[in-house]
Amino acid sequence: MTTQTHETSELERRTRAVLEESLTRIDARTRSRLNRARHAALEAARQPRSAPWRSRFVPVTGGAVAAAVLAVAVVLLTQRPGPVSKPESAQPSLEVLDMLADEDNVSLMEDYDHSFYEWAAAQGESPGEAGGGDTSSGSAGG
Amino acid sequence: MSGFATLAPVYSTPAAAHADTLLNDTTAETRSRALNQFLASVELKAFKIAQASLRNEDDALDAVQDAMLQLARAYSERSAEEWRPLFYRILENRIRDMQRRRTVRGRVIAWLPFRRDEDDEDPDPIAEAASPDPPPGAKLEMEEAMVALEQALHLLPERQRQAFMLRNLEGLDVAQTATAMGCSQGSVKTHYFRAVQALRARLGDFEIES
Repeated sequence: MTTQTHETSELERRTRAVLEESLTRIDARTRSRLNRARHAALEAARQPRSAPWRSRFVPVTGGAVAAAVLAVAVVLLTQRPGPVSKPESAQPSLEVLDMLADEDNVSLMEDYDHSFYEWAAAQGESPGEAGGGDTSSGSAGG
Repeated sequence: MSGFATLAPVYSTPAAAHADTLLNDTTAETRSRALNQFLASVELKAFKIAQASLRNEDDALDAVQDAMLQLARAYSERSAEEWRPLFYRILENRIRDMQRRRTVRGRVIAWLPFRRDEDDEDPDPIAEAASPDPPPGAKLEMEEAMVALEQALHLLPERQRQAFMLRNLEGLDVAQTATAMGCSQGSVKTHYFRAVQALRARLGDFEIES
């Protein structure tokens, strides 16, 4: 048992010597990267830690926002589109506005010929006269 | 008098705050220096331990870097005596994560057609270069011993390799190794004993010229 322990210790000593020797043969590139990593870690340790309230507040805020978004999404998805009332009264008023805004319409109203419309109305009231009228007016015109 | 008594703390506050700031700065500077010293003392060994498990230099460097960052961010306020086992605990967790990720990645890549292994890439001669101090011919035996030990360590089960490297290379005691490995001290002893037995079976006497 003593021999076994001694052998184990000897093996441990030799392996340790080999491993320590291997440390000295680590190349410069690796050493440089390790050096940079160490300085980055030290820089991280110098950064001020976030306030204790923040670590509690952020998850609560995040949860609240997520819940609100979920609620809005549920409302929007479950809401059925109802009958949309057509604003009928708005339609004519828009047409009137367009008409008033159009200069051509105004000029037509100014050039309105009363005599033609009065004659047409009279023809409608007395159809008999209208045929004779046509003839007479046709001959008179010819 | 009462007026002075009332005003005194008001006027003394900036000086006190300044003194506190100086004290805090001094404490922070001392702690930063201690942390720097600690990380410098473990970085090479940590790299070797990670490399023994991951068998990839870049992955080993990433693991060590992550462990350093996490220790600095989360545990720099702890007492310096706690740093070593904590650091190796973080490193072991990181190594395990990388091994798991590598396994998953290997499974995914195995399904991809026309895959190209990263190992197929041409080696970078600068990266492959040895340390500036080339080994003389007399140290050839040491080189062979290193290769043999590396291969024997690679054949060990993960936990045995961890226990052996932490105890033998880093010099952690049983309690610290147990903290680093996240197991009982009895388990550490068992893993370490089995590791030594397995190494002896493979390496024999492992005689080298000192």
